[in-house]
Parts: sequence; C-alpha cells; structure tokens
Amino acid sequence: MIKYTGVSISPPAWARHAILLFFILCTLAVNAQKKITGKVTEDGTSQPVFGASIQVKGTTRGAITDEKGQFSLSVNPGDKLLVSSMEFESQEVTVGAENTIHIVLKKSTAGLNEVVIIGYGTVKKKDLTGSIATLKGGDIKTEGASNVSRALQGKLAGVTVEAAGGDPGAGMRILVRGVGTFNNANPLYLVDGVQVNNINNIAPGDIESMDVLKDASAAAIYGSRAANGVVLVTTKSGKNGPPVIQFNANFGSQKLIKKYDVLNAQEWATVSNMAHDNAGLARLDIAANPNQLGAGTDWQDAIYRTAMMQQYNLSVSGGTEHTRYSFSGQYNDQDGIVDVTGYKRYGIREKTETTKGRLKVGQSLILTRENWTKMPGGWGGQGGNPVGSAVKMIPVFNIYDENAIGGYSGASGPVVNVANPVAQLHLEDITTNVTSIIANAFAELTILPELKYKFNLGYTDAFISHKDYTRRYEVGGLFANPTNNLAQASNRYNLVMAENTLNYAKDFGKHSFQALAGYAYQKYVRDSSASAKNDLADGISELDNGAIISAVSGNKLVSTLVSLLGRVIYSYDNRYLLTASFRRDGSSRFAPAYRYGNFPSIAAGWNISNEKFWSLSPASVSMLKLRGSYGILGNQEFDDYGYAAVINSNINYVNGNQSKWFGAIQTTYASPYLKWENTETVDVGIDAAFLHDKLTLTADYFRKNTTDLLLKVPIPGSAGSAADPFVNGGNILNKGVEMGIGYNDKVGAVSYSVRGTFSSIKNKVLALGTGTQQIAGGQPTHHGADATLTQAGGEIAAFYLIKSLGIFQSQEEIDAYKGKDGQLIQPSAKPGDIKFFDANGDGTISNADRLDMGSSFPSFEYGLGINLNAYNFDLNLFLQGTQGNKIYNGLRQDLEGMNLEYNYARTTLNAWTPTNTNTDMPRAVIDDPNFNARTSSRFLENGSYFRFKTLQLGYTVPTRLLERAKISSLRAYLSADNLFTITKYKGFNPDIGRSGSILDRGVDFGHVSYPLARTLSVGIQLSL
Amino acid sequence: MKKILISVAATLVFASCSRDTLDLTNPNQITTETFWKTESDVKSALAGTYGLFKNVNGGLWGVRGVELSNGRGDDFFIRNDVAALYQLSTFTNTPDNGVSEGVYNVCYRAIFRANQILENVSKVGLEADKEKAYIAEAKFLRGLNYFILVTNFGDVAIRTKVPVVTDDYFVAKSPEKDVWAQVIKDFTEAAADLPVTNYGRATKGAALGMLGKAYVYTKDYVNAATILQSLTMAPFNYSLTANYEDNFKEDTENNSESLFEIQLSDVGGTNPWAGENANETLGVTTAQEFAPGEVAGWFEVSPTDKLFNEFQKEKTTTNELDPRMYATLIWDYPGATFYNKPFTAFKLQFGFKSMFKKYQNYTQNNELKGSKGGDYTSSINERVLRYADIELLLAEALTMQGRTGDAYSYLQDVRSRAKLGLLANGLGQDAMMAEIRHQRMIEFAREGQRFYDLKRWGLLQQEITNSDKVGKQYFVNGKHDYFPIPQSEITTNAKMEQNERWK
Repeated sequence: MIKYTGVSISPPAWARHAILLFFILCTLAVNAQKKITGKVTEDGTSQPVFGASIQVKGTTRGAITDEKGQFSLSVNPGDKLLVSSMEFESQEVTVGAENTIHIVLKKSTAGLNEVVIIGYGTVKKKDLTGSIATLKGGDIKTEGASNVSRALQGKLAGVTVEAAGGDPGAGMRILVRGVGTFNNANPLYLVDGVQVNNINNIAPGDIESMDVLKDASAAAIYGSRAANGVVLVTTKSGKNGPPVIQFNANFGSQKLIKKYDVLNAQEWATVSNMAHDNAGLARLDIAANPNQLGAGTDWQDAIYRTAMMQQYNLSVSGGTEHTRYSFSGQYNDQDGIVDVTGYKRYGIREKTETTKGRLKVGQSLILTRENWTKMPGGWGGQGGNPVGSAVKMIPVFNIYDENAIGGYSGASGPVVNVANPVAQLHLEDITTNVTSIIANAFAELTILPELKYKFNLGYTDAFISHKDYTRRYEVGGLFANPTNNLAQASNRYNLVMAENTLNYAKDFGKHSFQALAGYAYQKYVRDSSASAKNDLADGISELDNGAIISAVSGNKLVSTLVSLLGRVIYSYDNRYLLTASFRRDGSSRFAPAYRYGNFPSIAAGWNISNEKFWSLSPASVSMLKLRGSYGILGNQEFDDYGYAAVINSNINYVNGNQSKWFGAIQTTYASPYLKWENTETVDVGIDAAFLHDKLTLTADYFRKNTTDLLLKVPIPGSAGSAADPFVNGGNILNKGVEMGIGYNDKVGAVSYSVRGTFSSIKNKVLALGTGTQQIAGGQPTHHGADATLTQAGGEIAAFYLIKSLGIFQSQEEIDAYKGKDGQLIQPSAKPGDIKFFDANGDGTISNADRLDMGSSFPSFEYGLGINLNAYNFDLNLFLQGTQGNKIYNGLRQDLEGMNLEYNYARTTLNAWTPTNTNTDMPRAVIDDPNFNARTSSRFLENGSYFRFKTLQLGYTVPTRLLERAKISSLRAYLSADNLFTITKYKGFNPDIGRSGSILDRGVDFGHVSYPLARTLSVGIQLSL
Repeated sequence: MKKILISVAATLVFASCSRDTLDLTNPNQITTETFWKTESDVKSALAGTYGLFKNVNGGLWGVRGVELSNGRGDDFFIRNDVAALYQLSTFTNTPDNGVSEGVYNVCYRAIFRANQILENVSKVGLEADKEKAYIAEAKFLRGLNYFILVTNFGDVAIRTKVPVVTDDYFVAKSPEKDVWAQVIKDFTEAAADLPVTNYGRATKGAALGMLGKAYVYTKDYVNAATILQSLTMAPFNYSLTANYEDNFKEDTENNSESLFEIQLSDVGGTNPWAGENANETLGVTTAQEFAPGEVAGWFEVSPTDKLFNEFQKEKTTTNELDPRMYATLIWDYPGATFYNKPFTAFKLQFGFKSMFKKYQNYTQNNELKGSKGGDYTSSINERVLRYADIELLLAEALTMQGRTGDAYSYLQDVRSRAKLGLLANGLGQDAMMAEIRHQRMIEFAREGQRFYDLKRWGLLQQEITNSDKVGKQYFVNGKHDYFPIPQSEITTNAKMEQNERWK
C-alpha cells in the first residue's frame, strides 16, 4: 500500500524530487541557504496546484509541486521565487524570514498560452482570431445559484443573462450580442460537443470551462444554428495523477427582499368607496364600514416564506498515462420563497478518455433528474399566479373557510375574480419531472502524426413528465371546481448526432497550419402526448381513477440536418493569423428548393507585439493583437413542416343532437417559399496586455446584420387565416461594443484581482414585412393594450405608448383641451383625470397617438468582480447592472388603475381629490370613463439597476492543520447573494424575468411576475 | 491511408442519403393534398366553418359577438371592465377596437373556409344532389358571414375564392350595395338546394329567412314579403312556441319556432379560451359574463331602464306584465328568484332596475361550470333566426308597402303568444310600424337586433338620445352606424381604405 503523506515519495513524483535534489546539490556550495517548504493552491477553489514550477529568479534552482501542491526548496532570504503553471498566472514571491510559504495562483484570464475551445477543436488564445468569451470553472461561483447560467450574469462581455421565470429552478435567458430574431433567440448550447436545449441541469461544479462563440468567425463552423451565438460547455476531465476527491456543500436560506406595498383592508375600503362615489355608483357591501375592517389579510405574508436550499457535489478524478477519468454526483434541493414551490436535482456524470497507440477513445455521460413543484397560473381568473394574486387580492377576504369544499375562502360578490393565492398553492399540485441523458462517445485515430480522423456520436434524451392535479373546491363565490381533475403530459426530446471530421495540423518552420473537414448529421425528434380526466375520487391522483376523459392529445415533430464543414487556420511566425471556415447545411424544415444554406467566414489577426519593430517594454504594453472577422450564420428556428399546407383537426362544433361534431379544415396559409434566416457579422477586436500582463483588455466592435428574417408577417384579417404565415420578411441590425478588463496585482500579503465587463448593444429594425408592418407585443395586464411595437426604423419591442401629460386640475383645463375642429379631445374627463397627448392631432385619444417612449434594451450593461486574498482569507465581490433601459410596469398599472375591484397600491391613498391636488396620482373612479388606467407612459419606468450580486468571504484552513487528517485542502465560506439593488424601478425586481416571446421581455406583467430573493449561505470545499 | 478511404467512403454514404434524410412528412396532420377525399372530409370542413359562429373572440354568437351586437343598443349597458367593450357601447370606440376587429376577422375566417368547401367539394365525387346540398350549405354560411360584415362594417372586401398567391391576400373593399348583392346571391343559391330539414344545420327555411331579412334590410319590401311569406306555408310548418321562454332554454332547443340556431353544448374540452382545438369548450361563456357577481358572474352588462319601461307599456289581457318581461329580465318583484336565490340576495350594481335573465342558466346555482365541467360554459343554443322574427319582418315588409291589413295577422300572432289583446283593426302605416317597432324591441331584447333595427329605421339618433344609455352623448349619427374597418386591416392591406366617416 502506498501512503500519500507529506514525506513519502509517491511513484509519479519521485523523479521530480530527484531533479529537485540535483538542483539543491548544485547550489549548496554557493550560499549559506535555508530550506523552506511551501504549498501552491488555486485561487478561489483552494485546490492544490500540481506540477507548478517554482524557480529562484536569476538561477537555475527550482522545484516542482507534488500532487498536494507541496514543494521544498533551499533559498536565501531576499530571493525572488517565480511561480508558474499552465493555465495559471505567474507570480513572483520574495522570500522573507519565514520557513513555510503559501502561494495562491490565479487561473489566468489573459492566459496567452491558454487554450480556447472552438468548434471541433481548440486553439491557443494567442492564435485566436474570432471573438470568444471564456469562463473557467473556478470563476463560476456557485453560491446561491442553483444553475450555471445564473452564475454567468454580468461575467461575459456581450452576453446578456436575464431571469426567465421565477420558480426555483427556472432557467435564464441568455442573449449573445442582442436580439437578431423574433423566433427562438437562445444560443446553441453544446455540452461536451452534444447539442442540448438548455444547460440548467449541469452542476456548476462539474464545469471545466464555458466558451461563448460570439462572432461569425468563431461560430460559423456551426452554420445554420449559430446566429444567436454558441455556448460550449466542457465538463471536467481527470488529470494524470493519483485520484483527487473533492466534496462541496452549500447550505443557504432565501428570503423575499421586497413586498409590493399594497393597501390593508381599511385603506382599501377607503379608496374603493372614493372610487365608487366618484363614479356615482353604489359602494361595495364589503367596503361599507372601513373603520371596522382593520388590517385584514396580508396576502403576501400568507404565501412567502424563508426558504432553505442545499447543494452537494462529490467528484473523483485522476488518471494514468493512458486513461483519464472523472466522475461526480450532484444533489441540489431548493425551496422557493413562494410556499409549496421547490426544485430538486440529482445527477451523476462521468467522463473518460483512453489513448492507446494511434487510437484515442473517449466518452462522457451526464444523467440528471430534475423535479419542480410549480405555482398554479391563476385558475383562469384575473389575478394571475399566486404572486400576482397576492398583491391584487382584496385584504377584506379571508384565507380559510373550513366549511367550504377544499377548506379555503376567497373573493366573492361583484369583484374581479382573483383567486385566493394560498388556495391556489394548496389545492392544485403541479409537478414537472425531467430525466435527461447527455451522452457523447468518440474515437480518434491518428493516421499520420499530423492527420487525425475523429468520429463523434452525440445523443441527448430528455423525458419530461408534467402532472397537474386539482382538488375539488369552492373558493369564495367566484371559483369552483366540482370534481378532482388530473392532467398529465409527457414530452420527449431526442437528438442524435454523428460527426466525421478529419483534422490536419502541421508546423513548417514559421508556418503553422491546421485544417478541418467534416460531415455531420443530426436528427431531432419531439414526441408529446397529454391526457386529462375529471371526476377522480378524493385522494387519488392517477388517471385510471378518473371518470370523464376531458382531453387527449399527442403529436410528433421530426427535423433533420445534414452538413458539410471545413476550416483552415494558418499562422505565420506568431504574427499573422488567418482563419477561414465554411459550412453547408441542409434542413428538413424548408421546401426542397430552399433547403440548403452556405455559411462562410473569414478572420485575420495580427500580433503586433510580436513584430520586430515592436519596441515597447513589457512593463508598459506586454501584448497587443488586432483581430477582424466577417462571416454569415444561419437560423432555422421556426415550425417544422411549415412549408406544406395542412388541415387542422379538432376544430369542432356541435350537431343537432347536441353531441360533438368533429371539424377539420385548413385554417392558415402555408409558407412554401421560406429559406434560412441569415446573419452577417463583422467584428473587429483588440486584445492587449499591459504592465507585465497585470492589466489585460479585450475589446470588440461588431455589426450583426440579420436578413431574410423568419417572421410571421400579419396579413390582412380579411384573408381569413387563423394565424399569420411565416415569410422571410425583415432585416435587423445589431451593433455594439463589448469590453473585458482585468487587473491582477499584489500589495504586501494581499493579492487581488479586478475584472470588469461592459457591453453596449443597439438594435434597429431596418425592414419588416410589407414595410408598414407593426408587430405588437408586451401585454401588460389582463385586459391591457400591448405596450411594445416593433416596426421598421425602430428598435425591437420599443415602447410605443400614449403619452400621459399629467393631471387635469380643473374643468377649464379640460374644456380648453380641444382638437383642430374645436371638439373636446377628452370629453369624458373630469378634474383629477389624466391628460393624454393627442399626438396625431385628430382630436381623439386612441392607439394612433402612441409615441416611441424608449427601449427595453439597456444603453449598456456591466459587471464588476473583485477578488482579494490575504493570508488564508479570500473575499469575492460581484456587482452587476444595466443602464438606460425602461420597464413597463404592468403590475403597477393594475394596482394604481383604481378601475377594477381588487386591491390597490399604497400610493393610491394619495389620489387626486379637489383638496389634494398636488399629486401625480389621478382621482379614484371605478368606471374610469377617461381611461386613466389605460396602457400609457404613466406606467413606464426607468429600469436601470445596480446590484450587489455576490459577497463571499472564504477561509482556507492552513495545510499544516490538515495534514494529520489527510486532507489536502479545506475551505469554508460565507456567501450573500443579491445583497442589495439600487434602482428607481418600483416593481419587485428590475431583472423582471418574463419568459416567452422576446417581444414581451421589457414588460412586467402581474400574472407572471416574481420577486427577488436574498440568499445567505455557508459552504465548504474539501479536497482529499 | 486505408482508414482515410474508409472515412471518406463513410462520408459519401451519409451524404448520398441526405436527400431522403431531409424529406420528412408531417406525421400529425393531413395535408391539403390528402384531404377532400370522402364525404366525411366535407362534413368536417363544415363543422370547422359553423364552429366560428361561437368563437369566443369574434363569433357573432360567441360572447364578444353578443356583446358587440347588443352593446350599442339603447336597451343595453356594458360596464368599463374590458375597455374595448365599454368603448363600443359608449360610442368612443376607435379603429383599433379589439372586439370589432375580432368579429371582422372571424367572419373572414369563416368565408375562407366556406370558399375552400366550394372549391374542393367536387374533388370528393359525391352524388350530384348531395354535392349541390353541400355547396348550398357552404353558400349559406358564407352569406351569413357577409350579412354580419355588411350590417356592421358597410363597405367591405368581397372574397369568393381561396387565395392562391400572396397577392391574393390583398383585396380592396366593395361598396355596401355590392356586398348586399353577394349576401342575396349566396342566400338565394343556398335556398335553392338546401333540404327542408337538416337538424341543427342550415336548411332551406333558414336560407329563405335570412334572404327575406336581407331584403328587409335593403328595403326591397316586395321581394322580402314574397320570400318571407313562403315560410308561412308548406313545405314549412314553423310556428311560435306556446311558451316564449322555450326559445332561450337548453331543453327546448331546435323547436318549432327555430329557423336557425347556433348549436352549443358542453361536449368539448373544458377551456373556453383554448383556441380551436380539442381543449376548447363547445359552449359559450356569455351567461357567465352576464351573470351577477353573487353567482360567480362578471356582471359585464345590464339592461337599461328604457327597456325595463318598454316592457310595461302594455299589460296582458289579464292585466299582468308581459310574460316576455319575466322571461327576459329579473327585477325586484314579489317571489322573484334567480339562481335559486331570492332577488334580495343580489345587488343591482349600476343603478338600473333589472338584470338579464334571458339565456342565463338561472336554474343552476351559479355559472361556474357547464354540465360536463367546461369552465364557465353555457350550453343554451343561441337562436339566430326565430319564426317570431319572420312574422315581424313580414309584417314590416307588408306594412311598408302599405298592406297593413295583410300584416295584421303576423303581428297579432306574436302579440297573442305574449297574451296581449287583439290589436285594433285598421291601423295606418305609421301606427302599425310603431307597434312593430315596439314589439321588436321587447320580443328580441338581448338577441342582437335592436341597434340594427333602429339603424334601418333611421331612428338611431332619436332613440339613443331619448334613452338612459351611458355614453349616448358621444353618439354621432352616421358615423356610429358602422364600425370602422379594423386598424390592423388598414395597416396590413395597402388596398384597403377606411370608411369615410371614420377617416
């Protein structure tokens, strides 16, 4: 048995120790030296760094760390030690009086020798010509973030990460360089080379690196799927050496940061009575005696809770000369801050790679199971989900009624049908389970030293089962469900891909040459079925028990893609770099004549600092590279089979016997002439390093021009189609700059790094449909008119709103507000009502008066990360924000409308009255004849925010304390997520999290809103 | 090198089968190529066309349609909950009104579908008589949709063909008289080949009735009288039901008084807003939207007091209130019950004296669920054309020709069913018309006739002004006779022009 202790010499390490001994012997004679021991660990993770070189500056003396990151070396006081390792930033340490020394290495960010993953291969960062943003595993802080994409927010220049839905375990929306399509704007995700729908199920701790391919040169090798960018996730591999066992655990608690400030029962009744009095209508009975109502029910308190979360990750990795392996298991359990909701994830992952002779074979497998417990959607009422209902529910109503079927009370009488949020959560059980397989296997044959053939097989399968069980209930007077009902749905997403590639790489003197050619095939199948039954016995939630089949459906979608691909990378003398690539894709989604698309790209780079004439010292500018690229990418994200006209079934009617009469007919027009959406990208970039690489800078300017936009162009209603057909009908331009800056230094015992990202992207719709076409989106409330319009000359989903001009203070003002023919523009207005701007001058207020009121896209967004290390402590901060974007606050439109019978915002207490005129809140009037509550600029808000997203304090236990326990490293940390947010936005969260159409993203809709939680957590990271 | 050859060969093998690889057929749906093979395809296509009449977003007998056709009448109030409804009912609507847009679009959807049937039925190879009857049925459906369009929008586009190329999507509007000509042509041709009985579907009687109505609307009283009169004799045997209320209840649907009604039943899915698919309920939500809040309704509408008072103008022969008042309205009278509760359990919300009872499921406890669990689903068939309407239209067509004597019996038939006494003999044309107008107002309240009746009588301004209708001050005579062409149509169709009065 081999003991891996500090003093024993393990077989792989003995040789290095022999070298060390040699060096020591060589230098012994020269000086009176002392012997020091030390340890090298990785910043952030505190993992030992194996194989790092420690060299005494100006000598040939040195040492190499063992698998525990330890070394010993004879030195003179005052010697400078140069510590370096692949993938890490080099460090210089001056020897003092101490006999032990702890060196923390930071994964290199500029990392010029760093290898960057590109499609179907890798390239050294210094040879890179495309625009790629890379994040290493160590940078993906996992605190408080149960999924990877959440941890990405603000960390990659040009990559926008925003909330998409609020349930725990909900994904994030990732936009690479803005929005260039009205269809699926998600980037292409590849995990270990396999295409997946999302990366939410990947444990953050399993990730070695994430590379986001942003420009056409980087992404063109993925052709038709790459127009929205490509996210390459590489999971961890083993390293040559003895096994390393790592264990991470995190426990946290999440709490609601901000409640919506709504009225209590007495206050509500006061405002309600005022609104009825002003309308000349009878008061509501339930509001009859405000003074006797007290506070009533606080519906928000009734649904929110302090929610616990825990995450564990255990991994084992290692390898020999021939085989490397890595496997891990993850468990994640997160309760939502909304009662009942929760998310659990279990997973195992393994990855091996074996080389024998000319053959290398490898495989990776990720199996995960995710379980969600979700919120109901509002039971068809007008309150929306429990979050929306909790703010709108009138506080006069009670939560429980033990005599009612189901046990809950709720709204009744002549009020808006907002469903009791507590009853929603407890009477309807919604669970979604997803079992996913991501598998990859490859064989690579080295035919000649320079020529390799690789066959890669990828397979993903996601089995999604959804179950929705509703108990029978009578909740108040407005909601009843006479029978127990169950609806089940299952979906399967299956993808098979096969790729054959030939890779040739050879250096001829100063010429370096790499070529790739390949053929790829993929098939994507989506199978869905759903069934529902009513009238189940109490307590039984399986379909067999149901009596009445209420719905059964099922369908299948298949698409295939075949591709030819090629790429040449050439560099001369590390100075001139050239990359050219080409992909030809054929897709089943298009009619035969339009099936194929060609996607070429070309890029060039110039390492100026490698030129002979370069005379600047590395102490000022240590590296400078210019890059430029041009290429075309495609997008085929639209309906399968869209080119053929179909007969829609199940559009039913009733026959004279009052039974179902099955209907079927063509309801929409086909789109037989569709072709690919094309995106042409030009990118120019600069990579630079200063002050001996302490300061690094990457900056890019890009122009992304999407043409032949796949678009549903509204055709005249009189054409009679039930939906608009797809056409290639538009042109969008995105342009922007993005920048990443890093600075690393050390002051005394404190080493620190600062990293910032900055992106500014603007989009413009250059052409749309027939020319005058407008696409409306962003419904803000249950009945509210759309808040955004997309049209040629404007931005995607710009806010087009009727402009509010403040409050009419008197009848004279109303009478003076006349159109060109002398008619009153707002004849129904009374003092205290909102004055709207008659922009088109036609004498009435209508949608034709909408004006461009701003953008949902920020002028710029930014992220700033700071890491500090001193002694055994480390401090990590992350700040992030957006500037210049607007948000349409639909929930406030509901709560400050005072035109509907539900609860109101506290601000309505300040409503205009003849004696309270100095206010921006119009009068309360329940029938709202002037439409004060209409969709207008009144509810448009500044959406800029600055968020202190992460604060983490870690402590690494000194090695000497751990040796006896045979632990190689141990770090404990305290972490706070979403500490505070500075914003003028009045809603729950300026990162509003609206999923669905890209055209809705700047509109905060009460039915789907979700508040932000603050998370406090503790964790340990242990390595054996 | 051998390996290279193998991989190259493998690549070629893959590549060579790529053409087939990319040819996929939709496994879920029939294509237009494979449809139109059997009689059942034609029947399915008809169901898909009929079904739009109940469409929740714009079928004239779906909830929004009923709100639109009634909402502008002097007998009707709509509260400010759904802004588009409130606006149209208070004459403050604009061309972007979603409700009028919905009705417009749904009519054209039905026309697109009816045109498909007309163009494809011959592919099936049916017996000549059958084929003719299906063509007639499709023409009836098309004619009825043009009838809705012309009465609501005036000048509209006439489409009698399925678009073939993109340019065909864009059609200019035709003058109102041309649209009426299309309506009359479709109904005439439909009447020729439709069967006398066709339970729950279009019949010869339905087509003749609508044709007669179209003649009355276009003031062609001679043709109107001829056509309508033919419905009073063999082969037809329509008659008024003894009990007026049988026309608004579920268990007395498709009765002797019915010429055409929209078949509604809770036999589909459970979701009224599911769209056109298996989950969609096959009833309507109108009763729930009209019901008071106390029984889980949304109390969207109310009768005006003008209607409430109109009912009381004439008592029955036994000096009681008109039975039609009890069938149409609920108000505070001794013993009044509604949804199994005394009237005192309800609160009148808007200051009007009554609520609608007609077409409400008031024998249930509330309007939450249909009989099979459909959300808010009412199964009471909406009656499109009743024999009472035929009689009153016929009386009107005769009266307008000065034939008041001939009109008498038809008018009296409607009065007698309501237990009203015999009308005095020898009334002049004006008095006769006044009585017809009074009878139509109370006979057809909440049946979507009042506004259109007033319009063709030229009495909109007068009757709206002398009513207690909310928003009457915003009524502009002429302009509000029609809805504007929807803004979305104007925006997307370069050939379309807005109605002059709405420019």
